[in-house]
Amino acid sequence: MGMIRGDEYRERLQRVKPEIYYLGEKIESVATHPAFLPHVNAVALTYDMAWAPEFEELLTTKSHLTGEKINIFTHIHHSTADLVQKVKALRALGQQTGSCFARCVGHDALNAIYSVTYDMDQKNGTEYHQRFLNFLKEVQAKDLFISGAMTDPKGDRSLSPSEQADPDQYLHVVEKRRDGIVVRGAKAHITGAVNALGHLVMPTTSMKEADADFAVCFYVPVDAPGLIHIFGRQTNDERKCGCLIDQGNVEYGIVGGEALVVFDDVFVPWEHVFMCGEYDFVFELVERFATAHRQNYGGCKVGLSDALIGATYALAEVQGTAKASHIRDKLVEMVHLAETLYCCSLACSCQGYALPAGNFMADPLLANVTKLNVTRHIYEIARLAQDIAGGILATLPSEIDWQDSRVGKYVDKYLKGVASVPAETRMRLLRLIEGMTCGTALVESMHGAGSPQAQKIMIMRRANWEHKKRLAQKLAKIRERPK
Amino acid sequence: MLSSKIQVSVKYCGSCNPLIDLAKLGNALKEALSQDNDLTLVPPESARIDIMLILCGCPRACGNKEEIRARAARSIVVAGETVDLVPTPEKDISAAIMKKLKSG
Repeated sequence: MGMIRGDEYRERLQRVKPEIYYLGEKIESVATHPAFLPHVNAVALTYDMAWAPEFEELLTTKSHLTGEKINIFTHIHHSTADLVQKVKALRALGQQTGSCFARCVGHDALNAIYSVTYDMDQKNGTEYHQRFLNFLKEVQAKDLFISGAMTDPKGDRSLSPSEQADPDQYLHVVEKRRDGIVVRGAKAHITGAVNALGHLVMPTTSMKEADADFAVCFYVPVDAPGLIHIFGRQTNDERKCGCLIDQGNVEYGIVGGEALVVFDDVFVPWEHVFMCGEYDFVFELVERFATAHRQNYGGCKVGLSDALIGATYALAEVQGTAKASHIRDKLVEMVHLAETLYCCSLACSCQGYALPAGNFMADPLLANVTKLNVTRHIYEIARLAQDIAGGILATLPSEIDWQDSRVGKYVDKYLKGVASVPAETRMRLLRLIEGMTCGTALVESMHGAGSPQAQKIMIMRRANWEHKKRLAQKLAKIRERPK
Repeated sequence: MLSSKIQVSVKYCGSCNPLIDLAKLGNALKEALSQDNDLTLVPPESARIDIMLILCGCPRACGNKEEIRARAARSIVVAGETVDLVPTPEKDISAAIMKKLKSG
């Protein structure tokens, strides 16, 4: 089968029947429901762009397993060039969607699990890697969109998984059978969970021997019995129903579409279990997934920033402020901040290296620096966009009033900027900026791929402190005293 | 007359931001090789190199280039705290390399 197109992805969504709830309603079809359609559209574009000649070079590659041409989101990186290609592909996609397109999470999970299953087998003589290769072949052959599900609800953060009053705060194995395992718990904030075809589930934090039941990694189809999805609210999500201009990003929404995924005694056959009890490999899996995912953010978020900077510049022109020196300075600053993030993602990719399984991982220290910068730069870019846009960003009348027979003419008259541009253009730009800089969209930059402190912990672990100290001692002619 | 000893050469990555002390490792290997009856250290430009030791400060392994590996029939790559991709604590790297050299 190989690479598919967006329409085939939409048809697949119609064929599966996952259990999904949103605003008290059980959702029958994510492929057509307005709350989910923007996220479906964004994922569909990851398929369609792979067929477009102008994007093919970034969005396709060759499978190292079969030699077949595949979508980049099912690929296992085998060089630093592969890592760089991913970053560029993410930027190109982000420019087109102006929003999260969700496929990178499952992709990063594939790469992390690929290497860790190999390492586990090398040490323990298990057969996880071959099992995973069989699964990976299927993912590539079907061009499957799978989510990556890592974050547990965590309950009391001061306690380890096995110390929780309620063990379900961390997903865990409740039964081992001859034909598979039964798992219970939940995964939170899962991007693309409602419009994926399945979930690759991983543990979320380093573990001790007592936590062995929580050290579990597996794949489940989205409609597995006992799997329940509760879709998260987003800022202004009611605008998805019936509004066009007021949505801002009409086609692709503002974030990836996150959900709380509940595992109410879900059965997983052994062929889809890739870790079960190997607590001593959990840190490795978490770090490799986090590195791959944090590498991304100077790609996709820079693509989004390109669109935001464009909207801000266009709005300044519409408002007659584009030539003011302070506006130009702020626009330049937005570009500088965005391109700095791109530099970070490219750098961690170029400094990537081979793992024992043969696949490549970005430099963990630089990947964490990338994501930590995203938690700052994207907020500053948004602040500058709001500064340039002006207070109208928060006080703009709705499109309904603009279309009203009594007051519409006033909205149109008094929202006009330069004479040659209609008020509607200004309204559309303002709504796009509002959607990209207010509420849910920004929080994704803060906490997506892990919160800032998670990056600082990794930076603390990875910084070469002793080397830095030796450099200083050498410069200051300090002789280390024998201990 | 050609030396009957196995000729070993060392090539460094360049040490931009090393996670291990490459100079210390290099000196330890030099010392170990000088005392070995079967192995001898030769410069990287030598016409005959049997084994190339590529010493890199971090996993990026910038010194692990095709043209370097091509100078010898066999290579051993240190990349941060790994020897040929096997995790190895810094204190054990020298011994791990010597074991590999002696194993032929």
